[in-house]
Amino acid sequence: METLNFLLSGFAAAATPANLAFALIGCILGTLIGVLPGLGPAAGTAILIPLTFKLDPTGAIIMLSAIYYGAMYGGTITSVLLNVPGEAASVITCIDGFQMAKQGRGGTALGIAAIGSFIGGIFATVALVVVATPLSTLALRFGPPEFFALMLFGLSLVTGLAGRSLVAGVLMTVVGLLIAMVGIDPVVGAPRFTFGIPELYDGVGFIPVVMGLFGIGEILITAEKPYKEVIKTSFAHLLPSAAEWRRSAGAIVRGTGIGFFLGLIPGVGAIIPTFMSYITEKRLSKTPEQFGTGAIEGVAGPETANNAYANAAMVPLLTLGIPSSPTIAVLMGAFIVNGLTPGPFLFQERPELVWAIIASFFIGNVLLLILNLPLVGLWAKILEIPWQYVCGGTLLFCILGAYSINQSVFDIWLMLIFGIIGYLLRKLDFPIAPAILGLILGPQLEKSLRTSLEMSAGDFTIFLTRPITAVLLLLSVTVLVVSALHLTPPQLREASED
Amino acid sequence: MKLGWQIGSVCFFALFAFGLVLALQLPMGDALGPGPGFFPLWLGLVGAALAIILFVQVRRQPADGPGDERLAPDRPAVRRILAVLILLAAVALLLDPLGFRLTALLFTALLLPGLGVRSPMIIAIFAATAGFGVFHVFYYWLKVPLPLGVFGI
Amino acid sequence: MRKLAVSIVLGVAALATAPVMAQKAFPERPIQLMVAYPAGGSTDIGARILAGIAEKAIGQPIVVINKGGAGGQVGWTEMSRQKPDGYYIGFINLPALNTVITDKNRQAIFDTKSFTPIINQVLDPGAVWVKADSPYKTLKDVIDAAKAKPNTLRGATTGILSDDHLAILMLEEAAPGAKFRLVHLVGGAAMLKETLGGNIDIAFDNVGSIVTQVKSGQVRALAVMDVERSKFLPDVPSTKELGYPTVISSSTRGIAGPKGMDPKVVKKLADTFKAAMADPEHVKKMSDVGLAVKVMTGDEYTKYYEDLHKKAIKYTEWAKKEQK
Repeated sequence: METLNFLLSGFAAAATPANLAFALIGCILGTLIGVLPGLGPAAGTAILIPLTFKLDPTGAIIMLSAIYYGAMYGGTITSVLLNVPGEAASVITCIDGFQMAKQGRGGTALGIAAIGSFIGGIFATVALVVVATPLSTLALRFGPPEFFALMLFGLSLVTGLAGRSLVAGVLMTVVGLLIAMVGIDPVVGAPRFTFGIPELYDGVGFIPVVMGLFGIGEILITAEKPYKEVIKTSFAHLLPSAAEWRRSAGAIVRGTGIGFFLGLIPGVGAIIPTFMSYITEKRLSKTPEQFGTGAIEGVAGPETANNAYANAAMVPLLTLGIPSSPTIAVLMGAFIVNGLTPGPFLFQERPELVWAIIASFFIGNVLLLILNLPLVGLWAKILEIPWQYVCGGTLLFCILGAYSINQSVFDIWLMLIFGIIGYLLRKLDFPIAPAILGLILGPQLEKSLRTSLEMSAGDFTIFLTRPITAVLLLLSVTVLVVSALHLTPPQLREASED
Repeated sequence: MKLGWQIGSVCFFALFAFGLVLALQLPMGDALGPGPGFFPLWLGLVGAALAIILFVQVRRQPADGPGDERLAPDRPAVRRILAVLILLAAVALLLDPLGFRLTALLFTALLLPGLGVRSPMIIAIFAATAGFGVFHVFYYWLKVPLPLGVFGI
Repeated sequence: MRKLAVSIVLGVAALATAPVMAQKAFPERPIQLMVAYPAGGSTDIGARILAGIAEKAIGQPIVVINKGGAGGQVGWTEMSRQKPDGYYIGFINLPALNTVITDKNRQAIFDTKSFTPIINQVLDPGAVWVKADSPYKTLKDVIDAAKAKPNTLRGATTGILSDDHLAILMLEEAAPGAKFRLVHLVGGAAMLKETLGGNIDIAFDNVGSIVTQVKSGQVRALAVMDVERSKFLPDVPSTKELGYPTVISSSTRGIAGPKGMDPKVVKKLADTFKAAMADPEHVKKMSDVGLAVKVMTGDEYTKYYEDLHKKAIKYTEWAKKEQK
């Protein structure tokens, strides 16, 4: 099998001491970048590109790719330990991951995240080797109408995020969608709901908002209590128990699938696979009420999906030369600056290079696992530091993070305001996750609708005549109807007796 | 959580009503389809309706018992929360004029005692690390621009 | 105990601050070079390449900061408010800056007089392209089709009132009867995806964005909107030689400062950057990325800036009328 030969020679190239070192450095740097909030993978990778000018192309790409998926894991660490999402994709890990940390199972959370990420990444890379080209051409068929339907489908699943009250959950989703309307509208290009503040022209900044809602909100809630017990993490708890393994296994498998397929579609964004995985796990679980209080599947699934997505998102770049996200666009810039042309012809012109890079994905995933598993114990120790210092450190962290996005103090104010909102929402017992979903999906939903109508010159039947779109829309309607039917009188009575 | 949802639904209703009013000032549509005001309008309407439904639903609930969380925090708690918020606001205000190093120094030096740390030595070390150590790592090694402030430090 | 603590802090402060105090002539501290777009974009890459070379010559670090948002408006708003002492300069992208100023909806707090142009770095001409297996082989095919079936051919831009948007309008003006169905995407990557996926018929973007795809054969460039051919796409005719000399569109990136800068400081910066742009490393790296360097300073750049603005006003008004 020709492919296998190529892959093996790729391994030989990737496993040279120099390239191994680059991959290792990349993983370390990537994890650090992921840990530092605000300094997202895109910015971090861009800043490090000049470093790679001194290296040969293969080495440079290997290192930058390692930084990229290393950053995906780094974001998990702060989500679990501090409830501060290091970057957008880690938001959902905060929900159950941080709860696990509060119960002394922080090490377990990080451990299962590392293992899940590894499995997701390896599988995605294997699949990349086997089915890359045919699947990526299929992924190209996801145009604006398909995106609209996909986002709508994602929204219809929100009922899976609702906690004790379906109405409160849907209400929060609408809040998120409304906030997503702030900014320059996709129709006319005029500012909407911005009250004359130019920093709002691109919409309410996502990272400051989630850092505020989760990170600052959590600090304010904790500040209510005079003392915070130090959580002793017993080392025996670093690896998941047998029962936890069993529960996570399914989540990991499903997370891999969700992450991989969504990663093939350029433009989907890392958060969507994590949300989808979380909702799927919650729906399929026999104990959905545990989600939000430290259910391990709530960490295993999304983290796997995250890493599977990250690896799969390299496919459109390698096979078609299309970057799926701003971070990958930076990687693409690195390719070009090093004299390589990502796209189908790269496979033919420089196969040894491409296969070396693909082989390095395998190696990188292994390195990440080796790097992070032992460190899990170290990270978890942070939870033993007295709360006053953790609080101070987290706040400083958040300030740095918010500021460094755009070198703007405005983002700090935004974070502060949403911190207060997050605190109030928690006190008043409203779920935050549905609002985040609305905030993420809203802009893409509206823009896709508009672009689809521009394509069809105003003809709405475009949504029915395109097969993928029609199917997704049908699914969305089905999900919504089924959820609405659950609101039968007995359940309504039940809900109000809560 | 009855009281919480009651307060919340009233607040949300106000938010959606506000959004509705603003949305009505925007164009609703054009030749191609929905305009900028279309979605905000519907979101405002649906949201307001949901807020009303929630409020009504909750009325049938029994009142919060002693087991439910008390809504209003006690005095010391309020003090601590306000301390954090005021300090954060101060940072936002002072970051550009004073520069990162000074602001982080002041922030840490004021926050830690506010949270209960007593030892001046520890506070000093933390403040120095926060102000200067962090700055050094970010500005010189990672090349992330941080404000230098009026005094250039 | 307290005294010791305080002295530690002061000591560290003194040690850490020392390197920042330096010589007397401009510049005597780091210069901030603002890019009004997020990190990783082509403006940003060009900026970082240039900054890395220029800072060695000028003797102080040139720190690239990203102030993205609203198609550049956030960054330019910020720059217009800075002190014109030469320590805060930034990239201005034309005609993006012009359309932000002329579009009343955007309520820009700045206008053309708010900035002091220093030097231009890149001039990236517009390009019309289709996917490799498209039925359209030449620009003439495209225009004929657009005339035969007006408002059917889906032509994409990288954004509302982007240089691509204005370019399509210029083309429609130069070829009366040709009308495209305008589809506004967000950015070049989306355009690549949608065109290759068959959702867009004709793509309007810039040379720099498609050089690699043309080389790999996925994409066919039909025309370059310039008075001459692009050295990166030597086989692609220019709009001038195809008979459309008025369809000239490009995206330029240059450095400017807030208004009221000292001409001596401007000259020093312009000379430093000019030398950096001539540096072989700069030439090579920009060439690899497909960005054509066109150095313009002083009066030449100012004139270009003002001429472009008049053009932008005309087409922006047309675009707004079309939207009604």
